[in-house]
Amino acid sequence: MDRRDILPERPVERGRGYMPGVSVNPSRILFTAGLTGRNPDGSLVSGGMGPQTHRAFERLQAVLARAGARFEDGIKQLTYVTDLDAYNADGRSERAKFFGSSRAASTGLVVRRLADPAMLIEVELVVDVQGSPQGRPLLEKYNAEDHGGDFYQGVIVNGGRLIYLAGQVANNPDGSVAGVGDLRRQAEKVYDNIGAVLRAAGATPGSAVKETTWVLSIDTWRQQGTPARRAFYNGDYPASTLVEIPGLARPEFLVEIEVIAAVA
Amino acid sequence: MPFSTITTPEARPVANYKMATRQEGGHLLYVSGQVARDTDGNVVGKGDMRTQARQVFQNLRQVLQAAGGDLKDLMKMTTYITDIEHFPAVAEVRSEVFQGELPASTLIVVKSLFNPDFLIEVEGIAAV
Repeated sequence: MDRRDILPERPVERGRGYMPGVSVNPSRILFTAGLTGRNPDGSLVSGGMGPQTHRAFERLQAVLARAGARFEDGIKQLTYVTDLDAYNADGRSERAKFFGSSRAASTGLVVRRLADPAMLIEVELVVDVQGSPQGRPLLEKYNAEDHGGDFYQGVIVNGGRLIYLAGQVANNPDGSVAGVGDLRRQAEKVYDNIGAVLRAAGATPGSAVKETTWVLSIDTWRQQGTPARRAFYNGDYPASTLVEIPGLARPEFLVEIEVIAAVA
Repeated sequence: MPFSTITTPEARPVANYKMATRQEGGHLLYVSGQVARDTDGNVVGKGDMRTQARQVFQNLRQVLQAAGGDLKDLMKMTTYITDIEHFPAVAEVRSEVFQGELPASTLIVVKSLFNPDFLIEVEGIAAV
């Protein structure tokens, strides 16, 4: 482990709890799924942003603990909220209770909707995990709790080379859009493209570590997109985040998926 | 350069970016979402996408340089904007800033950023 915080905090970051950049010599890296304020039975905790933020970080803490990591080992945090005022009023202080004085690189976004319409916050982390990758499998995929979802809560990459895919959309090699107005077809095409890029990189669907799915409609995605996703991963899911946003680079695009994968 | 570029005829980029990159060595650098603030923390270019985008890429470059790298070391970049109508201005500034190909790239329109004055935020992952 060789962590470097890049730049002393500038006025922009001071007091906001993050660093402009964090670098590590990658030995063991943990990617978490986006975690939310769900109870073990899948229901959301009551009480709004404060309790949801607290619960999301409590769950992240459990995922980190399984990897032997702490919040101080966080490299990158991505926070999605649906209500910025509520986050500033009730969420930030809950986050601070967990993160203390540690500083990860960070991005915060206000999105249209998360998995559940009542969900106000979702947080995902990239974490530098202690210990040697020697003698471990390339990927350790695990859950810290039973959640019944088609994803793993944590995936540790042990000493592999990380592959970063551009956000994949339903484009044909000639540049035309596949499945205009048809999310089912777009989902198939996006996963075809992801598969082709992974093959070219010497990887397979099971090599996927982290997936972020950006859709214009979560409800439509659940009905029309998930069959292609299930067929693609065949049970060997990455850590995942699903977010609803108002737009993508072209008006025809209904979904964009970005994937981080790893090979030995 | 401690990363390689992945290409395949089966899946091609829709614009001037790399389809995928694979880290082959060096340090892995995660850069926070950069917004249009100057070094004193003031918002730059309120209501003006071009000015904001230039400031954002300058800030991104500054973080990369502090880590011993530069824009050429970016493996992946994610651009978040608040209005798709601003995309042409962003694309124009990106091609000013990146002399060759962009890194692997994602563009997302979000509802808003963490300060209503911001029109664009860009985060990156580099190998340095």
